[in-house]
Amino acid sequence: MINSESWDWECNKKMVADTSKWKDQFEDVWEPYISSDGEKIASIVKVGEGEFNIAVNKETWGEEPFEKIWYSRFSPDGRLTALITKEMEWTMAVDGKTWEEMYEYIWDTKFSANGKVIAATTKQDGVYAITVDEKTWECPVKLESIASHIISPDGKTAVAIAQTVATAEADVNAFTKGAWSVIVNGKPWNDNYVDVYGLVISADGKNIAAEYRNSICEYGILVNGTPWNEKFGCTWEPVFNPTNSDEISVPVRQEGQWFLATNGRIVWDKGFVNLMYQTYSPDGSNIAAGVAPSFAKWTIAVNGQPWSTTFNECILKPSFSPDGRKVVAIAKDSGNWFLVVDGTVLGEGCDNVWPPAFSPNGDKVIYKIEKNGKFAVAVNGEVKDKEYEALWNPVVSPDGTKVMICGVKGGKYYRKVVLLSDI
Amino acid sequence: MKPTIAIREPVVDDLMDQTEKSLTEDQIEKVINEVIDQETGVRLQTYVNTCIHCGLCSEACHWFLSNDRDVSFAPVTKVKDTIWVMLEKKGKVDAAFIKRCSQIAHTECNVCRRCGMYCPFGIDIAYMMLVVRRICAKLEMVPLYLQDTVNSHAATMNQMWVKPDEWIDTLQWQEEEGQGYVPSARLPLEKEGAEIMYSVIGPEPKFLAQLLGNITVIMNVAGCDWTMPATAGWDNSNMAMYSGDFEVMARVERLHHETAQRLKVKKIVMGECGHAFRGGEYDGPTWLGWMSPPIPIVHAVAFYYDLLVSGRIKIAKKVEGPVTAQYPCNIIRNAGLGSKLRYIMNAVCEDFVDLVPNDRHAFCCNAGGDTINCGPPWKKIRVQSARLQSENFKRTGAHTIVTPCHNCHSGVEDIVDGYKLGMHVKFFSELLIEAMEIPEDLQA
Ligand code: SF4
Ligand code: SF4
Ligand code: SF4
Repeated sequence: MINSESWDWECNKKMVADTSKWKDQFEDVWEPYISSDGEKIASIVKVGEGEFNIAVNKETWGEEPFEKIWYSRFSPDGRLTALITKEMEWTMAVDGKTWEEMYEYIWDTKFSANGKVIAATTKQDGVYAITVDEKTWECPVKLESIASHIISPDGKTAVAIAQTVATAEADVNAFTKGAWSVIVNGKPWNDNYVDVYGLVISADGKNIAAEYRNSICEYGILVNGTPWNEKFGCTWEPVFNPTNSDEISVPVRQEGQWFLATNGRIVWDKGFVNLMYQTYSPDGSNIAAGVAPSFAKWTIAVNGQPWSTTFNECILKPSFSPDGRKVVAIAKDSGNWFLVVDGTVLGEGCDNVWPPAFSPNGDKVIYKIEKNGKFAVAVNGEVKDKEYEALWNPVVSPDGTKVMICGVKGGKYYRKVVLLSDI
Repeated sequence: MKPTIAIREPVVDDLMDQTEKSLTEDQIEKVINEVIDQETGVRLQTYVNTCIHCGLCSEACHWFLSNDRDVSFAPVTKVKDTIWVMLEKKGKVDAAFIKRCSQIAHTECNVCRRCGMYCPFGIDIAYMMLVVRRICAKLEMVPLYLQDTVNSHAATMNQMWVKPDEWIDTLQWQEEEGQGYVPSARLPLEKEGAEIMYSVIGPEPKFLAQLLGNITVIMNVAGCDWTMPATAGWDNSNMAMYSGDFEVMARVERLHHETAQRLKVKKIVMGECGHAFRGGEYDGPTWLGWMSPPIPIVHAVAFYYDLLVSGRIKIAKKVEGPVTAQYPCNIIRNAGLGSKLRYIMNAVCEDFVDLVPNDRHAFCCNAGGDTINCGPPWKKIRVQSARLQSENFKRTGAHTIVTPCHNCHSGVEDIVDGYKLGMHVKFFSELLIEAMEIPEDLQA
C-alpha cells in the first residue's frame, strides 16, 4: 500500500505548477501525469528535432535531452519513471537518471505497492526477460516472447506469461503440444500449455494462479503450476481471496452459461449470459461480479444475487466500500455512464465516470466525471467542483476526514485538500 | 439423400489430412449433437424446414456463377451436403465427411450473405455455414493456415504473431515516417481520455507498416484527439470468429473493447477491414452479451466520410483517371456504408467508375469469410472462383481498385494477378494521402 500518512493533509489549495507556460517554453507538450501525493506534475516535452525531455513542476530532467521518451509514469513512492532511448538503445530512467544497462527494447513498467520496486519487460539479443530494479532474469530456457507480467504487492515476486518453446511458422502441432508457460522470478513452471491467460498473485505473494487452455474449448485453472481437476468450456481470469490465498474464484462456462466457481466447485447456483470482474470484499467474505442475467441486461450480482436494476450497454469492475458494506460499479446505459451504489443510480448520466473513493463508513462516494469535454468532482451523484481541464481521482485521507483533489484549471495545476464535510 | 457430385482437384492440407486420420466417429457424433443441441435453436430448425430447395439462391453466389453454374458450388448444395446430412443422420457421419464439410464451409463459402438476399424466405445460408464451421473447429478440422492465425490470436491476441515490443517499436517508427509529411505529427500511445482509440489488424504492423504512418498524418491534419494502445488489444481482427473457435473469438473481442474502456475513449475508429468490423460490431458483442459494442466502433469508411464532409480534411488534387472500388460485404451489405464509400471515392477521385452490380448487391472478392486465410493450398480454386468479379473489375477500365478491407485487398490483388488485369490495388487511405491538403503551417 502507498503510505499516504506522510502526505500534506493540511486543508489548503496550492498552485503546484503553471503548466500553461510549458506551451511557450517547449515545441510540444504531452499529456500530464501526477505523483500519488499530488505534489508533482510531469509531461514529456519536445525540445527540438528528435530531442525530448520531461518537465516536472518548474524543472526539467537536466539539460541533456533524450532521442525519445515515452511511458512516463510515477511510481507510488513519488519517483518519476520513463522509457528512454539513446543511440538506438532503450532503458528505464528514474527521476532523470538512467539504468546502467541498455536494452534492445524495454516496456510495460510495473511497481510494487509501495513503489520501491520497479520492473519492466526487456529484450536483449533476441531474448526476453523481466528486469527488476536493473537485475535481469536469468532463465534456464530461452524466452521467445513475453505476453504480460505482474509483480506481487511486496515486490518480491515477478511473474510472466512467456513463450518457452520456439515454434516454426504454421507449426500447429508444436503449438498444440504447448509452447507457453508461467515464469516465476526467472524459473518456469514444469509444464508448457497451449495458452495461458489471466495471471494473478495472491495478496501475500505466496500463490500464483492463471487460466490455461488445454485444447479447443477445454479451459482450466493452474495454481502454482498444478491444474484444477475440473475443466470448463471457457474461463475468465481468476481472483484470490484477499484474506485467504488458498481460495480462488473464477468465472467458468458450462453448457453455454457462465457460473462462479471457487476452488473448482461452482458456488453460485444461477448461471448467466456472462459473468466477469468477480471482486472480493476487503474481508474476503463476499463476492460481487458483473453479470448479464439475460442478453444485453447488465448488473452486479453480490454472492450470486443480481441487483434488480440493469443497464443495457455494459458494467465495469465493481468495488466494495472499505467496510465491505457497499458495492459500487460504473455502468453504461443508452450512451451514458453512471455510478451505481447497491443498485441505485447516483445522479445524471455522464460522458465518463471513474472509480470512486469512499468515506470511511461508505456514506459518501467521491469521484471524477466527464461532461461536455470538462471534468468535475461528484459526490453521491451531485456535481461539486467543476470546469477542470484535467482531473485525477480524488483521494481520501488515511483518517477519513479529508479529500485531496488535484486538477488543472485555466492552465494551472492545483492540489487542494478539503474537509470531507465541506465538499 | 445422395451427396452432390463435386469434382475438385485434390488439395493437400496437412492439418485437415492429419485430423481426418485421427478423428473417431464417436467424437464426431458427440460434437455435432452438442453444437446442435446447445448452440443452435429455432433459427437453424426454421431455415432447414423452410427451404424448398428451389435453388434461386444459386444466382447470387459467385462460386456458382464463376464455375460455369456447377451445382456443387450452389449455396443450397453447401447446406444440403453438410448440415442437412448431420441432422438427418443425427451426427453419425465419418471423418471424410467432416473434412468435406470443412472444405465446403471454410474454403468454398465466404459467408458473404449475398445468397440470403435472393432467397424468397431470406434464409441465411452463411449462418448455417458458420454452424458447420463451429462443428469442424471443435473437431479440429480447420485448414492449416487458418488454424495458425487462430493460434496466433489465442496466444498473442493478434493475428500475425506480432510480439508486444515489435508492435510498439513499429508505431514509434511510423510516427517518425508521419513526421516526414507533418513534422509536428504525433502518434500518441496509451493516452487515457483521448477521444478516439485507433485499432488495426495484425498485417498492418507486420507487412503494411506505412498504413500506420498514413493514419498518423491523417489524424494530425484533421486535428483528432487520438491514441493507440501499447498493449495487446490493439488488433481488431478475428479469424477465430471464422474458424469457429468462438471462445478465442470472444476473448480477443473482449480485450479489444476493454482496452478502449481502459483508455476511456469515446469511440474506436478502426482501419480498413471488413471482417474486423463484423467481429467488433456484431459477433463479438453478441457472444459476450452486449447488444452493441460498449464503446462505439466506427469503420474507416465512415470516419473518412465524416472528415471529408466536415472539411477537417480537404482535397488538394483529386486522383486522376478512372478508379473503382470493391464493396466489402461486411461493411456494405451487412452494415450499409455503401453511399459513404461512394461519397469518399467521388471526393478524392476525378473519375470514380462504379462497379455493376454495386452496393449491397456487389459480389464478394472471394477472399472474405477467411477463405484467403486458408492459405496457399486453397488459393487456386479461390482465384478461379472469383472469375465473375474479375470481369466486373475489367469492365470498369479503372487503373486502380480501392479496397477498404484487408481481406479484399489481398483477394483483389490475387484477382488482378490471376486474370492479368494490370490494375493497382490500394487502400482508401493511400489515395487520401496522395490527394489531401496538408495546411502550410503543418508542412515539412
Ligand atoms: S454466403 Fe456468399 S459465398 Fe457463401 S454461399 Fe452465399 S453467396 Fe455463396
Ligand atoms: S433460395 Fe432459399 S428456399 Fe430456395 S434453395 Fe435457396 S435457401 Fe432454399
Ligand atoms: S473479403 Fe471483402 S468482399 Fe470478401 S467477404 Fe470480406 S469484406 Fe466481403
